[in-house]
Amino acid sequence: MTSRILSTILAVGALTTLLAQQGKHPDFSGIWQYSVATAAGGIKQVVGGKAVLAAPDQSGRQPAKGGVAGALPSDPTPTYKPELLAKVKEADDNQSRMDNTFACGKPGVPRLGPPRKIVQTPSELLFFYEDMSGDQYRVVPFASKHRDDVDPSFNGDSIARWDGDTLVVEATNFVTETWFGEYGYIHSDAMKVTERFWKQGENMAYQVTVDDPKMLAKPWVQAARVIKPSDDLLQETPKCVEDDAQRLTNKDHHLQR
Amino acid sequence: MLMKRALVSIATVLFLSVGALWAHHSVTAVFDTSKQVSVSGELTSIDWVNPHIFLYMKGKPATGGPVQEWKIEGGPPAWYRRSNVTKTTFTKRIGQTITIDGYPAKDASPYEWMLKVTFSDGDTMESISAAEAQKAK
Repeated sequence: MTSRILSTILAVGALTTLLAQQGKHPDFSGIWQYSVATAAGGIKQVVGGKAVLAAPDQSGRQPAKGGVAGALPSDPTPTYKPELLAKVKEADDNQSRMDNTFACGKPGVPRLGPPRKIVQTPSELLFFYEDMSGDQYRVVPFASKHRDDVDPSFNGDSIARWDGDTLVVEATNFVTETWFGEYGYIHSDAMKVTERFWKQGENMAYQVTVDDPKMLAKPWVQAARVIKPSDDLLQETPKCVEDDAQRLTNKDHHLQR
Repeated sequence: MLMKRALVSIATVLFLSVGALWAHHSVTAVFDTSKQVSVSGELTSIDWVNPHIFLYMKGKPATGGPVQEWKIEGGPPAWYRRSNVTKTTFTKRIGQTITIDGYPAKDASPYEWMLKVTFSDGDTMESISAAEAQKAK
């Protein structure tokens, strides 16, 4: 009897602690706006004589206009060490031939962008993505140390912590075949990506910092973006089949992510 | 006048599209955007794939020529989905006669970039500029 009472007290205590932890910080759980660049315009359909215009809201893909309260000062482009500038230019000049995302490759963090869906628990975050290369996820524990038992990967090894009401996710241990931006932004195995999430009313502010002491002269703080909540439920991403490479007549390319 | 306006409209769409399509080549890397082709025929199948969707039709250009299998390229599925167009929009038309206006391939093969589709019942679907799309908001 005594042990049952003790168990009940302990369970209530654990639940109280759980609720207190959940109430302590902002909750980012939910579905967030699709924030991968698509075409600039939209589509006009005429059905039964009635015209309907529709277009994706792409505001989550762009730097927030007028800045974002709480954002770190940002730079429009990364600052590479001088000896790497020619290599970056060569990659940029040959995007459609050298960028693996052209041929359905995984973009990796940070080009993957903000999550489409977040499930937040006191111990970990689950991030879900809809990406051209396929559906992806990240499991991000609240932890102070990275794992040391995993191989390098496209999205790296991520850990989370709180900085006040800002959620900070730090990822390391990346493969080197990805770029951290579409303009030939190559990186080394020393890349560290820090994503910051904070609330702006109902919206989620999102800002990325890329550091790579082997290649960058200083960390690159990207402009903050504002991601709206969304009722656009996740759907399975259609398969990716690159079929144009043999037809390319020039090196033209377009915005990616 | 109508034709001129149509060309300006299409040129506007192109200008905007070249700068902002998704994770792939620009339209001009494969298609001759200084010309247009209008192909009519039977819609035979759909490949609803990233990074660009494809339609297939047995058709011939309005300017004449033999009936051939044409491959028609469009934008990414995510863009269509958020512009109220799904794979079903096309699959329900398989077997019907459609007309597709767009840009011909630079290599002169039966390959086209899709700007506008006219279905057999008169319904249409066409790309619009970002400015025009603003009216949808």
